[in-house]
Amino acid sequence: MKLGRLLLATSAVALAATAALAQDVARENTVIFDLDRTIQDPENFNWMTPGTKRMHGAHQTMWEPLFILNYGTGEVDPWLATGFESNADSTEFTISLRDGVEWSDGEAFNADDVIFTTDIALTNEDISSREASTIKAQVASVEKIDDLTVKFTLNDPNPRFIVENFGVRIFGSFLIMPEHVWAGQDPATFAFNPPIGTGPYTFTSAASNRAIWDRNDDWWGAKTGFMDLPAPARVVFVETGGEESRAQLMAANQLDAAQNVTIGTFEAIQAQNPNVIAWYADYPYAAADPCARQLEINTTVAPWDNANMRKAVANIIDRTQIVNVAYEGTTAASQTMFAQYGSMSPFIDAVVEAGYGLPARADVAAGQALIEAEGWSKDGDFYTKDGETLSVQIHVNSASTEYTRTIDVIVEQLQRAGIDARAVPVENGVFWGEVLPFGAYEMSYSWLSCGSVNEPWASMGRYTVADVVPVGERSPGFNNTARWDGPAAESYSAIMEDIAARPLGDAEIPGLVAEAYAHLDAEMPFIPLVQAAKLLPMNETYWTGWPTADNYYNHPFFWWNHTHQIIHNLEPAGN
Amino acid sequence: MTSQDHLPPTRAEKRQAKRIKRFDNPWMNPKLIWGAALLLGIIAMGIIGRFVWDPDLVFTGSSMLRLPPVGFENLRGQAGSMANPLGTDGGGRDVLALIIIGAPNTLFVGLLASLIGMSIGIFLGFSAGFLGGRTDDIIRVSADVMITIPPLLILVVFQSAFGDVSLTMMALLIAGFVWQSPTRLIRAQVLSMKQSGYVQMAQLSGASTSHIMFREMMPNLVPYLFGSFIASVTTSIVTAVGLEVLGLGPQRIPTLGRTIYEAINAGALIQNLWWWWGIPTLLLAIIFIGLLLINLGLDEVSNPRLRRLS
Amino acid sequence: MGRIPRAYLINRLTTLILTVLIAATIIWIIPRLSPVDPAEIALGRMAAGAGSVANSEEILAQLRANMGIDEPMLLQYFRYITGALVFDFGLSTAAFPTPVSTLILNALPWTLGLMILSLIITFVIGNLLGALMVWDRSPKLVRVAIPAAMVFTSIPPILSGLLLMWVFAAKLQWFPLTGAYSIFVEPGWTWEFVQSVVYHGFLPALSIVVVTFGFWALGMRGLMIGVQGEDYVKLAEAKGLRPRYILYRYMIRNAILPQITAFALKIGLLIAGQVLVERIFAYNGMGKLLYDAILNQDFPVIQGVSFVIILITALSVFLVDLVYPFIDPRIRHEVA
Repeated sequence: MKLGRLLLATSAVALAATAALAQDVARENTVIFDLDRTIQDPENFNWMTPGTKRMHGAHQTMWEPLFILNYGTGEVDPWLATGFESNADSTEFTISLRDGVEWSDGEAFNADDVIFTTDIALTNEDISSREASTIKAQVASVEKIDDLTVKFTLNDPNPRFIVENFGVRIFGSFLIMPEHVWAGQDPATFAFNPPIGTGPYTFTSAASNRAIWDRNDDWWGAKTGFMDLPAPARVVFVETGGEESRAQLMAANQLDAAQNVTIGTFEAIQAQNPNVIAWYADYPYAAADPCARQLEINTTVAPWDNANMRKAVANIIDRTQIVNVAYEGTTAASQTMFAQYGSMSPFIDAVVEAGYGLPARADVAAGQALIEAEGWSKDGDFYTKDGETLSVQIHVNSASTEYTRTIDVIVEQLQRAGIDARAVPVENGVFWGEVLPFGAYEMSYSWLSCGSVNEPWASMGRYTVADVVPVGERSPGFNNTARWDGPAAESYSAIMEDIAARPLGDAEIPGLVAEAYAHLDAEMPFIPLVQAAKLLPMNETYWTGWPTADNYYNHPFFWWNHTHQIIHNLEPAGN
Repeated sequence: MTSQDHLPPTRAEKRQAKRIKRFDNPWMNPKLIWGAALLLGIIAMGIIGRFVWDPDLVFTGSSMLRLPPVGFENLRGQAGSMANPLGTDGGGRDVLALIIIGAPNTLFVGLLASLIGMSIGIFLGFSAGFLGGRTDDIIRVSADVMITIPPLLILVVFQSAFGDVSLTMMALLIAGFVWQSPTRLIRAQVLSMKQSGYVQMAQLSGASTSHIMFREMMPNLVPYLFGSFIASVTTSIVTAVGLEVLGLGPQRIPTLGRTIYEAINAGALIQNLWWWWGIPTLLLAIIFIGLLLINLGLDEVSNPRLRRLS
Repeated sequence: MGRIPRAYLINRLTTLILTVLIAATIIWIIPRLSPVDPAEIALGRMAAGAGSVANSEEILAQLRANMGIDEPMLLQYFRYITGALVFDFGLSTAAFPTPVSTLILNALPWTLGLMILSLIITFVIGNLLGALMVWDRSPKLVRVAIPAAMVFTSIPPILSGLLLMWVFAAKLQWFPLTGAYSIFVEPGWTWEFVQSVVYHGFLPALSIVVVTFGFWALGMRGLMIGVQGEDYVKLAEAKGLRPRYILYRYMIRNAILPQITAFALKIGLLIAGQVLVERIFAYNGMGKLLYDAILNQDFPVIQGVSFVIILITALSVFLVDLVYPFIDPRIRHEVA
């Protein structure tokens, strides 16, 4: 009884509170994005706490980043800031903020907001967002030079400071919050509702399965001439509920940009709705995701503690077959550990020129020769040594068929070459919580060399000896879960230390990368497999100007903080 | 009147005679036979199929992707061939091989789970309803408690502890969720029968508890028990399929539910890959129709009144 | 209600409280049997999404503190039980610092609206069809058509949902594809909103009804067969009462009793069981909340949702126990 009354009362209050009717916006003035998760708490906009509090439109329409990294050129484009300078050893960064930026309530956006928000991350013990922790780990102090200038002093040299924290390198950036609203609140529990931001859209309403944002025609950017008002009058993020539903919505023009679908589904959508496009107009259609896929090898477990055995596996793996079977041609074989973006090509080229690029096809004979050189001989289907069969268990996260299928293909390839491989699918939480960080595997499917998109260190720096811990202890920051150690790893780590301190764009870095890669190639603590692909259908029925390979103003991942650029580029299709 | 005895029987009488003959052996009723035949067919398909068809075709990439069944064409214009008579799924697995391996697995989980569940249910339901008192309280509370706990929760925890579940494990886990309903319902039946004339009469005449339970009451519950058993097989299969469709069942063993889960995840509907989801669904339908027919047939065995109706 | 003996009421109330307490304890224990540390998983998720995590030890400690899992077990348990009594399940760990009660209150109206409605529809249709299958006077067509309709029971709910979505939403475009209401309508007690909710709820409800009515029909059929042979039915027939009257007043009324018990028991199970339908229609009810929470190892939400399901089930069982003797005069309010 009590529950019933409580329920009725609260739902009535909740409904009444949101009953303010929004004005109607026509479909052709609305852009609808796909949200692949539930907004668990639509009333909370505190992005420093976990949950869907950013990617439902908040950081795509309302909160703007200071800079946006361009994946095509590797440039860091200024947004709320106009530029930055650093000292020679990359320990001090001075950011200049744009003049005339306003919060949507009319207050000026200035250095005080930046300092206030940074201070929260530096001092508050109770917040746990990834971006805030990164700031906390790197920044020693922050000071205001004048209203539009802020100086950050770092604990250690970090030439990547701006792009890592403020440049939307991967997914988000450290978002600046309005001091005049947040002051005096507890950052760990503050709900920030109603939220305000500097972006061209303001929050209208949200429920657990959709959020609506309406254009603020008084946006500072249009007033100061920074940029025109974006064309869509309304932006909607709506939860779609799986591949089948999003395909149907896309075909019926009830969605303008959808999350990842398989190639078969994409073809079916296109057959029903010819206005739907993707990153490429033809194969592979999909855009590369920054986290390239790899086979992580636990270098402490025999016989895989032997570098030659790992090299043998690398020789036996046929990347082209993985691309064709597991990805149906929607991705490309990896040449190196890096994501193959234009901004990464200097480093990839350096590695390939030095002769460490990986072939797309297998060389099974070379692989078998390596195995035989280690004293294994073929007995029936599999290699044996001292009565023991050469076998391996490959752990794979069962959350996606992309993962399991890739491993199924690899298992087949290894089996045919004489290694008794078995896939061990494990549940997502177990995989990330138990298997990978604790080294509780022989080989495992992962993407832990993820990180580099415009410089090499973010990825390469994850495999240094500094992060080696024994099996059973958690690898710090999920770095070097392969537990790669020894002289080669030490020389590699020394080169990494050198690269880490050099400023971005230093001409010697590609050469150093190639030098370091020699060790990776010789020891193979992990085997790069293929580029990760995201096939995102985009609908041109109502809007054109979507990011594509031909219109490469930036990548198409519309749940990232850079989506401001996408929305500004949209134009009415005029149908 | 007497002369009629020597007349050749009319057609209606013949039919009547045939029927009576059939009643002599109620187990020969067509519904039961058909139902059992359908289920045996599934099992036979699983056994014979392994010999006449290559079971290795259930592995990813063993054939070309998304081929249609013989006589059809897929969206890319490829025609089906005898190499994969029922087509292939999005991972290049042969649908025929998938159902040869998968359908008996699904049936196995359902039968095992409900066999265990019903045995527990009958025992506890009778004990609770007939004995009453403390026994009743304990059984009722534990049934009430167990029925409220979502199976999803148990299975996920189980999987995180062991990484994967086997078919038998899955059946055991599901059995833990199908005994409560029969327990409660049987208890209710027993309670209401306790009030009925013949039980009270038996009690008055000093019959023993077990005599009353198994001799007087059990036969009256038989049709209901059979119905309940078949219903619980159905429930078990639906529960198993439901968990598999969420991707929570065994990961490496093909089952009908998991095949449907993969089809849905890959957008098989919009791609018109009807054979991928349709054929496993059809097999599920055959299993359920088989169970239903057995149920109807068993009723006729135990309840002669129904035979006259059909 | 005055006719209920006090001893009986106390007995059933004790059972109710005991049930809820034990079940609440079990759902507290079960997730803790899992070897997986929810803080590790939360951290793993951060890493999975963005590659690496700085300060991971610190975040981990913070997550553990937020989740309250760094405290002694007994204290955690005590806190949980006392909180549950006032519907305070603490804060969600996946959507920290949102109170679990908020998440549940957001989801509950949808579940109650959609699920209970479809549950009632299925119950009525299923039982009626089950009864007609047995009734001597049903048209032949009904008795053939019903078993055929049972085929629907073989379809997993997710597939029935997708098929209905495909036919009625995508092809015919009679109904909307997803969502609980139109994205262009604001929630509120307006006619427009209510209309939108009913319109959007139709397909999800139908997909549940289609696949579940067979259970009730089958159960009802079994019960009707039992009732058919009873003396009171024969007596009524001998009295020359109208067959339809006998069907409703004598047969269905008696046969339906165990079905009502089953109905009470099914409520909780159905809430947990509708996960799939809720997922494909992006319908954010309790089932989906529970599923997401399990995937995220969000203990407080798992406990909160399970507790509410337990409470609803236990309460309905309690009510059925109280009401049963009134509708079935053969059963008395017996304490023992």
